Amino acid sequence: MADDAVAVVEDPDSRYRQIMDAITDYAVIGLDAASAVRSWHAGAEQLTQYPAEEITGRSVAVFYPAEDAARGLPETDLRAGAAAGRHETTGWLVRRDGTQFWASVVFTAVRDRAGKVNGYVMTARDLTRWREQELTLRSVEQMVDSIADFEVFRFGPDGRVRSWNQGAQRLTGYTPDEVIGQHVSMFYTEEDVRAGLLEREMTAAARDGSLEGEGWRLRKDGTRFWANVVLSPIRDDQGELTGYVKVARDLTERREQDRLVRQQRDEILELSTPVIQVWDRVLILPLIGTLDSGRAARLTESLLHRIAADQAEVVILDISGVPSIDTGVAQHLLETVAAARLMGTVSILSGVRPDTAQSIVHLGIELGSLRSRTSLKDALQLALGLVEARSGAGNGAGARA
Amino acid sequence: MRMGPDLLVTLQGDLDDLTVESIERQVTSEIARTGAHGALIDVSSLDVVDSFVARVLARLVRMVRLLGADAAIVGIRPAVAITLVELGVSMADVTTALNAEQGMTRLRRLRAGTSAGIRHDDPQ
Repeated sequence: MADDAVAVVEDPDSRYRQIMDAITDYAVIGLDAASAVRSWHAGAEQLTQYPAEEITGRSVAVFYPAEDAARGLPETDLRAGAAAGRHETTGWLVRRDGTQFWASVVFTAVRDRAGKVNGYVMTARDLTRWREQELTLRSVEQMVDSIADFEVFRFGPDGRVRSWNQGAQRLTGYTPDEVIGQHVSMFYTEEDVRAGLLEREMTAAARDGSLEGEGWRLRKDGTRFWANVVLSPIRDDQGELTGYVKVARDLTERREQDRLVRQQRDEILELSTPVIQVWDRVLILPLIGTLDSGRAARLTESLLHRIAADQAEVVILDISGVPSIDTGVAQHLLETVAAARLMGTVSILSGVRPDTAQSIVHLGIELGSLRSRTSLKDALQLALGLVEARSGAGNGAGARA
Repeated sequence: MRMGPDLLVTLQGDLDDLTVESIERQVTSEIARTGAHGALIDVSSLDVVDSFVARVLARLVRMVRLLGADAAIVGIRPAVAITLVELGVSMADVTTALNAEQGMTRLRRLRAGTSAGIRHDDPQ
């Protein structure tokens, strides 16, 4: 390229002139030994806005910003070109109207037969847009890298890691050097790899545009963490898949908290549904507070297990502590009674207040054969009578006392 | 298996149509042969019960009754009881008991007549 340019400088009327004028991406400027512009072409005019007649003979310094020209940068560049034969640099250049553009510039020294520098060829290319993109890209990269709480990394369609941020390093313990170029499966547990989880995730993300999920991931030291992961495909302008970006968060702590909350809730439920053995083979279940379905299911379960463990014959369900009976609560109670009966245990309802009795009937709740007493004392008496009647060889007298 | 005047029938393992048929044949012929007064159907080995097993149980009870004996289902586990309730199977007219011993007592009380004993599923 430089040699061709030299030819143009020496023979401006040749067909090289036309070729040079056809080049619009570059400005190819011929300078004499004193750094004055000696040859010019359409591309140079397009870039700098100077017409040939106006620029010819003027110093190359005219293209430099005033402060660069003042500190002798043009001379420095040319000297470097003469010394090395070729000098490449990037920097701001000035157009005729004073606006600047970011240019990649190459100075090539041209020598005569004796080897003395008798001119230069300066090629300049406008990289302003490229520089902006570069800066944007770099700021995005810096931004992504500065995210410390999220793991953000990019990998290709082949699964090889392409970028790695600080958050990823913090979360997994791997430095960029250790993971870039490696296969992303290294962060997955062996079971997940075997199950083809990664491939499924990649396929689903590519198909749906994004995929969110949770699962175990591996750290460098082999420990696991529970991650919330968003996987998004990256596509070029043609829509071709060029890779994926993965954003992950460590939810281990939250998962642990959830587990604790669940455990505590279970313990509270346990406390709120105590089953008391009051007599041999007689259990009391005092119901206090409102009964939701979760509590009711829990209650039925713990009651049935106590029945099996204590071989209880009678269960007293005391509802004096239940503020109001609606169809839902009644349904739960009846299911508990039915399940207990299947195991061979009789239930007695106790603590039915006048208003409860009214609402049970008004709601049309059918209690079937369920025995009911107003006070716990009466219920207990009935229970003891039933136990005696059923277990003993006696004739059951007193059962209906 | 014979237990005094009663027959103990233990259900276990996977119940399929063939097994069920053979159980029904054995139970009915055994009751007829021995003149047992009652049959205790022990289901304590069953961890899970579906609607098929529930129907099998109901059928066995009816066959036993047709042969003039009483039947009690004994040893229903807590989880099974919950499943049956969820399936809507209440077996309201079938005697149930926690174990075989209790079941025998209850069958005896049944035979002794309702005037002396109290069937636990009697309406108040």
